[in-house]
Amino acid sequence: MSTTATVEATGDAATRAVFRVGPVAAMARRSIRSIVRQPQVWVPAIVFPMFFSAVSSAAFDRTRSLPGFPEVDSFLTFILPATIIQGVVFGATAVGTDMAIDMENGFADRLRVAPVGRIGLMLGRLAGVMVLAIVQTVVFSTVFVVAGASIAGGLASVFGLVLVSCLLAGAIGSFALIVALRTGSVEAVNGFFPILFAALFLSSAFFPPNLAGGWFEAVAEVNPVTWMINPSRRLVITEFSMSDLIQATAVSFGFMAMMTAGAVGALRGTAR
Amino acid sequence: MVTQHPVVAEGLTRRFDDLVAVDHIDLEIQSGEIFGFLGPNGAGKSTTVRMLTTLLRPTEGRAAVAGYDVVSQSGAVRASIGVALQDAAIDPIMTGTELVMLQAVLHGIPRSVAAARGAELLERVGLTAAADRRVGTYSGGMRRRLDLALSLVHEPTVLFLDEPTTGLDPTSRSALWEEVRRLNTEFGTTVLLTTQYLEEADQLAHRIAIIDDAKIVREGEPAELKNAVGDPTLRIDVKREDLARTSEIVSVFGDERPAREGRVAVGLRGGASRMAEVVRSLDDAGINIVHMELDAPSLDDVFAEATGRRLEGAVEG
Repeated sequence: MSTTATVEATGDAATRAVFRVGPVAAMARRSIRSIVRQPQVWVPAIVFPMFFSAVSSAAFDRTRSLPGFPEVDSFLTFILPATIIQGVVFGATAVGTDMAIDMENGFADRLRVAPVGRIGLMLGRLAGVMVLAIVQTVVFSTVFVVAGASIAGGLASVFGLVLVSCLLAGAIGSFALIVALRTGSVEAVNGFFPILFAALFLSSAFFPPNLAGGWFEAVAEVNPVTWMINPSRRLVITEFSMSDLIQATAVSFGFMAMMTAGAVGALRGTAR
Repeated sequence: MVTQHPVVAEGLTRRFDDLVAVDHIDLEIQSGEIFGFLGPNGAGKSTTVRMLTTLLRPTEGRAAVAGYDVVSQSGAVRASIGVALQDAAIDPIMTGTELVMLQAVLHGIPRSVAAARGAELLERVGLTAAADRRVGTYSGGMRRRLDLALSLVHEPTVLFLDEPTTGLDPTSRSALWEEVRRLNTEFGTTVLLTTQYLEEADQLAHRIAIIDDAKIVREGEPAELKNAVGDPTLRIDVKREDLARTSEIVSVFGDERPAREGRVAVGLRGGASRMAEVVRSLDDAGINIVHMELDAPSLDDVFAEATGRRLEGAVEG
């Protein structure tokens, strides 16, 4: 170990916490490992949405015959995108919970005193839930197809759904990080979960808003979740279309960019 | 700020709304020094460390660590320091090896180098056998030792240890002291150590600063500070009803010093040679002495002399 050298403080490159791939990958490995080692995170995030879909399918399958309902061979086909988003909501909030726990036990401070760019730290943290979103999308798509759903666009559409879910996991994960960084509380992160769920239910996720009518239709039409669900659903029930893919990913990418910027700001704010 | 010292602070201040947690403190820590920051809970030790380690922005004043400004050059400060904060800051889900590897990569050390260095560090802190166990299964002492290993993985120039032995058993405490001494003597690492334990500051630190109520009230080498207190402290236990008269009688022999309830303490002018005189005076007054002791000035006396009270959690006066 070297002794302290005389250094004149200047604005050289060494003073900046630069973006390096190694630390981001290391944080990503930690994040993925953390999820794998906590079955209480990934098991409910896979099982509950499928259970909910099975119940919805049994209860509402006959609504397919309503005039104006999209033409689908199974209610499961209709709710596949909603199930994926529901799973992502379940899983992605875990990154906020982990952050709050890190803040409580001091590990977050250890990471903050490392010479790593703040954006890198955030992206690394989000990697775990983004990988979980990929796994969820593949599992849900496979199970639904086995159970009778069909995906019109085939593998290309599944790829589109993977992309959307991955970006959405980044957005929801970042939102959970903001809550964790602002409050430092696991309870507060979990407390925001119902809000995300409400946003999902007040969209076109589980029922066509035009058939519901009234205030629900009005709210669902302006709900950004609907803007993401509708093109994703078209990828499943009609055919793969680049414009639908772009629309769905643009909304989820927009969410993610906004939320990640907010999370980086919140992380910087912890030093003030 | 241009500096030749590893840690320099000028008028460093931190406020939280109306609360002044650190009030215009000045520090100048020499290269290769173990510097003890001694004070009771809530005195401002940890807040100072958090500012020096870039975790918290100062409200006023400036500080430089390893020659870099802690605000405008925080990245360079982070690359130069090792930090073990209060309560071992480790992720219980990961293993010791995984944590050391993560810490190394975060500091830009290639994985190939990190593996060897991590293994060496874990061996040095006696954790080789537990290296592949999840940290959640470690004892408090093991966590502290791992925390220390993590803070050393990038061979920092300056090491910050915030109350590193709080909650440890005596054996673990001694082992950690030994490691800190070794780091300092073998590698010349500059160490800033906060503690509320007098013995720890006395044993480890080359120089200490005593902080109380957000301000540094004394600073210097332990021996020099103790000598400055002057006379040794005479402590006398008597029956409760004799306390007032005892206090009056012994006040002739020196200035009263803070003491626990049921005890009288004075700085005995002339030291041990006047003990017999004190005993005779009390005997003549018919006061029965329950217990009597004469101690060379301690850091507790230094603290008491500076603040008018004994250090919380320290040996009672």
